[in-house]
Amino acid sequence: MASLSSDEWRAICDKFTNAQNLTDVESRKDPDNDPFRSKYKARELLREIYCSLKNFEAGDGEEDSGGESGDQRPKEPPVDGQREDVFGQGFSGDSPAGLRAAKLGAVEYYLGVNHVDTEELSAGQEHLMNCMKLLERCRVSSENVSLFIHVRNQLGILWAGRDETETAQGFLETAESIYQRYMKEDGSPPTDMTEYFTTEEKLLTHQERTKRFELAYTHTMYYLAQVYKNLGETERAATYCHSTLQRQLQLNQFSPMEWALNAATLSQYYITKGRYMEGRHCLAAATVISGLAGEVPSEAAAQESETECERREQLRQKRAEIARCWIKYGLNLLQDAKKLLEDNIGELDSDRQEELKRARRREEEEEEKGRKSALLFGSEDTFDSIASLEEKVPCLLPLDFTEARAVFLVGQTYVTQAKEYFQMDGYVTDHIEILQDHSSMFRGLAFFEEDLERRCKMHKRRVDMLEPVCNDLNSQYYLMIRRQMMFELAETYNEMMDLKLTLANRQADTESLDNHTIKKFNSLCSASAKYFQMFLDSLCSPEGKSPEHLEEEVLRPALVARFRVARLHSQLISSVPTMQLDNLNRSLENYKYVVEYCDAHPEAVAAVETELELSREMAGLLPLKINRLKARMAENN
Amino acid sequence: MAGASVKVAVRVRPFNSRETGRNAKCVIQMQGNTTCISNPKQPKDGAKNFTFDYSYWSHTTADDPSFACQKQVYKDIGEEMLLHAFEGYNVCIFAYGQTGGGKSYTMMGKQEPGQEGIIPQLCEDFDRRFIDRCLLHLQSQGTLRVREHPILGPYVEDLSKLAVTGFNDIQDLMDAGNKARTVAATNMNETSSRSHAVFTIVFTQKRRDQMTSLDTEKVSKISLVDLAGSERADSSGAKGTRLKEGANINKSLTTLGKVISALAEMQSNKKRKSDFIPYRDSVLTWLLKENLGGNSRTAMIAALSPADINYEETLSTLRYADRAKQIRCNAVINEDPNAKLIRELKAEVERLRNLLFSQGLQDSLRPLSSEQSPTVAAMISPLAPVSIGRELQPRLFGCETEKIIAELNETWEEKLRKTESIRLERESLLAEMGVSIKEDGGTLGVFSPKGTPHLVNLNEDPLMSECLLYYIKEGFTRSHLSLINHLTVSELRAPSAGQCDRQTADQSDLRSVSSERPLLVGPQQLQLRNNLHR
Repeated sequence: MASLSSDEWRAICDKFTNAQNLTDVESRKDPDNDPFRSKYKARELLREIYCSLKNFEAGDGEEDSGGESGDQRPKEPPVDGQREDVFGQGFSGDSPAGLRAAKLGAVEYYLGVNHVDTEELSAGQEHLMNCMKLLERCRVSSENVSLFIHVRNQLGILWAGRDETETAQGFLETAESIYQRYMKEDGSPPTDMTEYFTTEEKLLTHQERTKRFELAYTHTMYYLAQVYKNLGETERAATYCHSTLQRQLQLNQFSPMEWALNAATLSQYYITKGRYMEGRHCLAAATVISGLAGEVPSEAAAQESETECERREQLRQKRAEIARCWIKYGLNLLQDAKKLLEDNIGELDSDRQEELKRARRREEEEEEKGRKSALLFGSEDTFDSIASLEEKVPCLLPLDFTEARAVFLVGQTYVTQAKEYFQMDGYVTDHIEILQDHSSMFRGLAFFEEDLERRCKMHKRRVDMLEPVCNDLNSQYYLMIRRQMMFELAETYNEMMDLKLTLANRQADTESLDNHTIKKFNSLCSASAKYFQMFLDSLCSPEGKSPEHLEEEVLRPALVARFRVARLHSQLISSVPTMQLDNLNRSLENYKYVVEYCDAHPEAVAAVETELELSREMAGLLPLKINRLKARMAENN
Repeated sequence: MAGASVKVAVRVRPFNSRETGRNAKCVIQMQGNTTCISNPKQPKDGAKNFTFDYSYWSHTTADDPSFACQKQVYKDIGEEMLLHAFEGYNVCIFAYGQTGGGKSYTMMGKQEPGQEGIIPQLCEDFDRRFIDRCLLHLQSQGTLRVREHPILGPYVEDLSKLAVTGFNDIQDLMDAGNKARTVAATNMNETSSRSHAVFTIVFTQKRRDQMTSLDTEKVSKISLVDLAGSERADSSGAKGTRLKEGANINKSLTTLGKVISALAEMQSNKKRKSDFIPYRDSVLTWLLKENLGGNSRTAMIAALSPADINYEETLSTLRYADRAKQIRCNAVINEDPNAKLIRELKAEVERLRNLLFSQGLQDSLRPLSSEQSPTVAAMISPLAPVSIGRELQPRLFGCETEKIIAELNETWEEKLRKTESIRLERESLLAEMGVSIKEDGGTLGVFSPKGTPHLVNLNEDPLMSECLLYYIKEGFTRSHLSLINHLTVSELRAPSAGQCDRQTADQSDLRSVSSERPLLVGPQQLQLRNNLHR
């Protein structure tokens, strides 16, 4: 038996260390015109190692041709042939034959990665498949399981890069199941591949072994997330992202701020899916973990040093971003609840409310169950703080004012927090988006408020926060955002007007309104019309010309604004006939615009079907009203 | 209008000495607006096509008929942008692409005749007109941080700002700036350098109104941005690993954030829900959006290397440019549902329609009555106890209006269907009464029962509207209409004989009117004699 002497072995180990160093460190310094210089050097070393291993250890009673393969089997199909029985058959991992296969396999693996890195994909694939073949003869054990996982990770990447996502998926899923079975059946810290080429004294600690092995599997999770994403299986992709995050946390392989931001981003996925429990969990974890990044350096400290300044900026920004994710959580919760509870004219449907309240108990139980089965974040020291933060925030859709208020208040806290960083001066668009969210939360809350006076006041708050900003901004730079605000202000004033009218009707119970109410009503009505008009004016060219063709993204808003201006003008209350006539004429003018625009641009019809229908009617009917008014005026003269 | 997408051009330069030295092959082809890139490593993979607003072929020399020279580029992009500036828009031209891709040649060019880039040509064009104030912003190193001022708009933080008064100053400063950038680049190891030049001209047009002696000012900003190297900074400015395109898997866990945000984005695009995705934009995307968000026009020129050795970078530049094409300002107007308003308005329409219903009788009456039967349509005050002689037996039918208004919770379609069935019902009822609804919908025609002259009562108040048909019997009909306010009379004609007398008692207030105006009749007696059967 031709065994290696310890000197020869030491030489191989040195070569390996050298190759690793060339690949990981030296290659970064390679010049542009010779970008793979170090990797090619590493490749040579790996080849030498391979030859040494073959020469010295061949004839161990093993007929072996693993290296020069290609003749044993066709290269295709590249499916993972080891999905079954990798635990049951072959050499045991710690037998000499098993160890030899693992070592040769590892060199093939490194050669494979090297070729892939130097853009020689087919050669890379061949080496990786050679590794697979060598492993095929071995049972999974702590000596080789790491290689089992690594080689499949690499093959997964390789095939995904060739748009053969399913093939990639096969390798990665096998890696996943090998890991799971190994952990169930054995679980001892496995040998790392680098240890195959290490002298006794440099063997890794158990802790380090575990760390590396788990990290490889974390990558498997991460690659599977991407594979599922590319396959369009977003739900699974999200689960695997979630697992990746969870593993990073558990294994303490993360940077707090980055991790927190990723968790917060994942919450947005869950929120848009309507899965608020998961969303809340991500956000609570994000908040807790971001706390691990430490205190924000003081302003004074930031002025002292540039790194402190950068750190201050980073921490403040990212925490503010997490706060904004929380705002969206509160906002969507309110909006979804509103959608669920409103009747077809946007009022609270009390039957539906009762029904949902009855169903609530069941949901609560399910929440409890869901929590138990869900993939929870947390290391030992963070688990409790995450859970206690979660407890403070509701995750069920609010069904009445009290519940809605609780959600609103959470959101509002984060509004304040986010605004501290995203100030108006310097972060105009961010600041305004936060204001808009705040305003939308008020709208959501107002929906649940039964007292119309108070509801009106909530809308007034919306006006108060948006109006000054909208009017002060330079529209040359912030046109779009101003348009959004104009539209929202117009709608809010309109809403207030409706509320005032309902209130007045309730109180007076007659057609006659008192002067004060009329004045109030008219001022709200005019304000609403003013902002719709402002919106429409903003579409004009700098010379003030109205556009002949409305861009797709403003088509509906523009026509709806016209339609609503028309409506508002016909609603203004006036006892002076000439003013009535003016208002009716403006109303007619705007209805006509909608009709004429749609006649000239038939493609616009689909966007405003109902509005067009009604505008057409009104454009036909209003002249009648106008004529009658004229006639009456003539009569009175 | 504002909100328009960014105008995107790509331009491919000749081989540089390094590429020639390495016997580089050209992987770029252009045809019309389309740019095609082929993968030198996998030629069988097929080439990728991208279509832009302009694809400039500057790989060859001016002898080539398809060669795009500096002037051409300026004419297409510079002049258009300048025009927009004069119109009062803010204008921004970005150059983007790999270091050495030819950005500076396109933007600055060389100081030889015919070789000047967009900036000098534009300045020259300007110089001829007027330059008010120019600011040259230069950033030599560090992170690019865009800030927004509520009044002054977006700006890049910590840029050196240099005021210039004329074209020569600009040239000098750009030179100095480029030198500074080069130095910075060398210091920082070229590939990691992120120095950008933002060149801004603040352009003020003053106009004096002769009549009022008032000055009006129109200010617009022209920004010419030369981004150094491919832009690889994420929004926080930290160097992020570029997310690979397509089905590729990112190996490093540092890209987890991008994978998650891509997932979140996929989801939110589907649901159109409000979310906040921290990583979403890179600086460039952000800058572009800022410029699209305002009242501005933006053009982007991506500079391409033709060489196979730069395939990856060039492809990513093309992909970026392709994405820029699709960047539109995402300032979506979120509308409140307006179901309530629609409901109210429908009620109003119904009300007015009833009004028309009554007047429509009059409108559609004439042509019909002229050839068919003598008909009188009248609008009678709601509370008036009408009696047109004892012989007249008014027949009454109610409108369905109240019911329709009551059924508010129906969808529009349902309502239309119901309205249709009501219309049919009403039609048959009316037909029985001698009134018919025209097929085109609302307007009404009164078809008299053949051979029977009659009066029709129309109510001014649609809510209390009633429709009465008064048959005028053979012989002399005398009626006392003391409370009639408005009476519309069309000519009474016999369907066959064509003679019908019309008289009024007392003051003959009953006048024949033109088709436009209803005839007003005071509270007096109306006498009608039906000669028809005499």
